[in-house]
Amino acid sequence: MIDNVYFWSVVALLAIGTLLIRFSVIAFSNRFEITDRHREVFSYIPAAIIPAIVVPMVFFHKGNLDWLAGKERLFVVVLAAAVCWFTRNMLATIVFGLVTLYLLTHIF
Amino acid sequence: MLPVMTGVIPFGAVMGTAAHEAGLSVWHSTWMNVLVFAGASQLAAVDLMTKNVSLLVVVATGLVINLRFILYSAAFSPFAREAGWGTKLLSAYMLTDQSYAVMSANEAHFRNKQDALTFYFGSCVCMAIAWHLSVLAGFYFGNFSPRDWALDYAVPLSFVVLVIPTLKTWKHRAVAVCSGVFGILFRDLPLNVGLLVAAFCAMAVALLLMRLAGLTKSVRGAR
Repeated sequence: MIDNVYFWSVVALLAIGTLLIRFSVIAFSNRFEITDRHREVFSYIPAAIIPAIVVPMVFFHKGNLDWLAGKERLFVVVLAAAVCWFTRNMLATIVFGLVTLYLLTHIF
Repeated sequence: MLPVMTGVIPFGAVMGTAAHEAGLSVWHSTWMNVLVFAGASQLAAVDLMTKNVSLLVVVATGLVINLRFILYSAAFSPFAREAGWGTKLLSAYMLTDQSYAVMSANEAHFRNKQDALTFYFGSCVCMAIAWHLSVLAGFYFGNFSPRDWALDYAVPLSFVVLVIPTLKTWKHRAVAVCSGVFGILFRDLPLNVGLLVAAFCAMAVALLLMRLAGLTKSVRGAR
């Protein structure tokens, strides 16, 4: 059971912090120019954070397929990344990933 | 809009299920959803809270996950430049991965800034409705898909969809690879600070690469 005070403290701090992050550049957009260098630094943020979330999530997942050493989620995420790279289509990528995982784990 | 929603709905269902399984009431879950309004960080925070991780680490992890909103804030700022503080604050609150994706996909179609803002708020409201409803559905019906469908797999997939389009240069790709490797290496760090450390190291790699690329450019220029 999550303690009430603990929960609300997390939610309050996370809510305020997240809003400040979202507001950061918008708030000062008419005060100073965002240079190309700023933009370049910002452009690395998703690449620096998202793989650190996703890769361990799929890498350490214990699956059922012996021939993939239980790493079918890792295998499918690599395929889905390729689909996303070539199609640039969100719907296609997510559907492809879910369907491929289903087929792999239930039919083969 | 539709392709974006397909990412939101399973994600919301997973979030609702996680909140329910963590023993949160629908009241707690909904307030968290409305106040924080950032699924990935909420999912991580709920997970860490069930492990009773220290307050500071839970909040810091959630905020690091949400640092990507700086990029979205920068991308959106030209549209909100002349708007009032209320509009600015509301548009900031509504910034999500999906609204960013929708805006950058439709950038060419806007006739003026007012047009863009109207489109933005319209799409954000649709997104918010889909999000809140799918979290509620997840909360009450658990994983409402057939049991053998691994709906939770939609979470890593939706992250893949977010990161791939940002890997425009070899430097971005290198940073992404480093981030993934750091994520694995630092997973077992004490206090669950693995993600924090991995993200900061990957960002350091990015700054280093920028500097190196800048140096080689100036060396070439001097010749």
